[in-house]
Amino acid sequence: MSLLRLVPRQLLRHPLRTLLTIGSLTVAIFLLCILRSLVTTLDATATTARNDRLWVQSAVSLFVGMPAWYPDRIAQVDGVQSVARWQWFGGYYQDPSNFFAQFAVDPQKVVDMYPELIVVEGSADAFVAGRNCCMIGRGIANDFGWKVGDIAPITGALFPHPDGADKAWELEVAAIYEPGARNFDDRTLFFHWKLFEETLTTPEDSPGVGAMVVRVKDDVDPSVVMGAVDDLFMDGPQRVQTTTESEFQAQFVSMFGNIPFFVSAIGGGVLAAVLLACINTMLMAAREQRREVGVLKALGFSDARVGSVLLMQSLFLTLVGGGMGMLLAKGIEPGVVAATSSFMPGFLIERETYLMAFIITVLAGVVAGLLPAWSTRKLTVVAALGARD
Amino acid sequence: MRGIAFSYHLRSLFVRRSATFLTVLGIGATVAVVAGVLALQQGFERLYTDAGRADLAVFLRPGATGEGDSIFNRDRGRRLINTVPEIAVGDDQQPLASMELYLAVRLRRVSSGGETNVPIRGVQPATFGIREGEITVLEGRQFRPGQDELMVGRSLLGRIRGCELGGTIVLNTTPFLVVGIFESTGPSGSEIWGDLDRILECLERTGPSRILAQLKPGSDIAAISARLKNDKVVPAQVISEKESLSSQTEMLSAVLKFLGAFLGVIMGIAAVFTATTTMLAALADRTHEIGILLAAGFRPVGIALGFLFESLILGLLGGLAGCLLVWPINGIETGTTNFQTFTEVAFGFRVTPMVLTVSILFALVLGLLGGGLPAWRAAHLAPVKALGRR
Repeated sequence: MSLLRLVPRQLLRHPLRTLLTIGSLTVAIFLLCILRSLVTTLDATATTARNDRLWVQSAVSLFVGMPAWYPDRIAQVDGVQSVARWQWFGGYYQDPSNFFAQFAVDPQKVVDMYPELIVVEGSADAFVAGRNCCMIGRGIANDFGWKVGDIAPITGALFPHPDGADKAWELEVAAIYEPGARNFDDRTLFFHWKLFEETLTTPEDSPGVGAMVVRVKDDVDPSVVMGAVDDLFMDGPQRVQTTTESEFQAQFVSMFGNIPFFVSAIGGGVLAAVLLACINTMLMAAREQRREVGVLKALGFSDARVGSVLLMQSLFLTLVGGGMGMLLAKGIEPGVVAATSSFMPGFLIERETYLMAFIITVLAGVVAGLLPAWSTRKLTVVAALGARD
Repeated sequence: MRGIAFSYHLRSLFVRRSATFLTVLGIGATVAVVAGVLALQQGFERLYTDAGRADLAVFLRPGATGEGDSIFNRDRGRRLINTVPEIAVGDDQQPLASMELYLAVRLRRVSSGGETNVPIRGVQPATFGIREGEITVLEGRQFRPGQDELMVGRSLLGRIRGCELGGTIVLNTTPFLVVGIFESTGPSGSEIWGDLDRILECLERTGPSRILAQLKPGSDIAAISARLKNDKVVPAQVISEKESLSSQTEMLSAVLKFLGAFLGVIMGIAAVFTATTTMLAALADRTHEIGILLAAGFRPVGIALGFLFESLILGLLGGLAGCLLVWPINGIETGTTNFQTFTEVAFGFRVTPMVLTVSILFALVLGLLGGGLPAWRAAHLAPVKALGRR
């Protein structure tokens, strides 16, 4: 008779305990998958961006614009195909807590430069054609119930409407896009630079140019262009900093400071809790099975084979629990994507994360199984047979 | 109703000490994670809320959500200071008011070389009168008005390049010399300070971001704000410094609280399961004894309460273990970006009494939930069957 048949029997001896242990593992492995993915997603944001697009910003501050004549000057640099202006608008819809990104842009250029913006409703041409038109991401369209043809009223916290701080900028939704790449979020609003520039009347309000995206010609080395643009304004009036798009995005990831490290540390706490739960259950199981162990030993089964019954029980518990945890994480992934898209687009549980979760699951099973198996080794047949339930 | 002696339950926990130990550690790990996140939240929030003063008024551009998106014309700012009668007057008969420029500048970390946004504040001499006792120069001296000099907050030391005595920080194209290191009770300990006019010129800003003023005792900030909101010459919204600072913590505080609650619920489920497993095993071991107790006339309710008590002790021990585990992080300095101001702030973890209280209560709840089912089962044992089990 194979000893392995004892494994399911022993597990069914306390069905509730088996379920509870599996349950602990399920939630713990689920949590590990989610936590690690938060960290890997942050890192991925910076590495998936394209490198034929360069970003030019003020070298002084994220919040300072560059003089209005900079784009024309940069367009003359060798190797530059086109230059698009971007200005962070910093407004909100109705309440400051309704946060999402708005940019004043050169519409045609953004549409040309960003094939990742896939228009699913309305049309890009309509967006480019109408001076008061905007293009919005699917996420904000859903959140605020905006459809093509609706007016999106945006209160300008950074750029108050000249007719009064309470008056909203009225933008007509002409296109709704969905992102075609992971590093792109679906919660951005783009509107016309022309409208932006012409609405602001006083020179104090005029911000210059917040940032520029430079599309490099196909056969040109981007790093040469980067150096050439930076050199142009080395002595003022405003120094600039030209980076690849991935470096540009990396600066925002860098802002999180130590937070990714803390998330990993929390993962460590979760791991400890998983292991303790498994060991606890298996030690109890081993104690109850002492008499059976005695019987098996008396029948002449080796310590290794007797121990393997305990190890198998442990592995079964962790594999089922861990597997369910991974499935749960997979199932809940779309929800996390929606919840985090405003500050961290493209949440994804990578294959490596599942692999890591699997390895942890197996290791927990082995550790929790070997510990009691080891302790039964020392048990003499007489003592084991004499044990009470 | 006769209860069972507490010592019976305490001894039971001791007899089954390996299971008790593992369960306590399991609850402890859960509590420690939640307490750690809370300590982070507390450190961040207290940095802002402890420092804000109610007698300081902050004047912002109407519609601005904070000083980061506020701007005044310099001449109109001066005019505002001279025309608001509630502003207190200093020993030199000058108004206790200072125009301040606030801007996050790009600087690099010492450790990784990565870029971060460090707040720079250009202030006028009146600031030091208003802030008397709040700002202490630890090393070097204050910057001199009109000079290309800066002083840096202590929290930036060793974290941001150039932030050391004698260091140089280049603002656009002008190098500034670091002449002092200061300490502050509030978030300005993560800021760089210099002369308003020099910084306005070098950063090519059109005007200051806000006006900070000390008010005469008894002034009503809301009334000033209502009066100035639609002022023809210098419209402004006015809030107290306290309000201004605490409004900057809402977003990160909410995120951290959510994270704490999320982790607490998920890890709590696992911890409750572990506690239940342990208590069920305790019940199985003692079924015979419970049979005796029932036969001797102890009421089922008493026995159930006894089990709940036992699991509460497990929870309490777990809570204490969690607090011990989290204690060493108290005071550790860390930094992250406050996404409301888009600047990096440094703050320490703070294991406050509130954090400890929440941790212990959380652990007790975990223990109670874990003991529920075993207690219910214990109360429903039939004496004869229980006695028959060995």
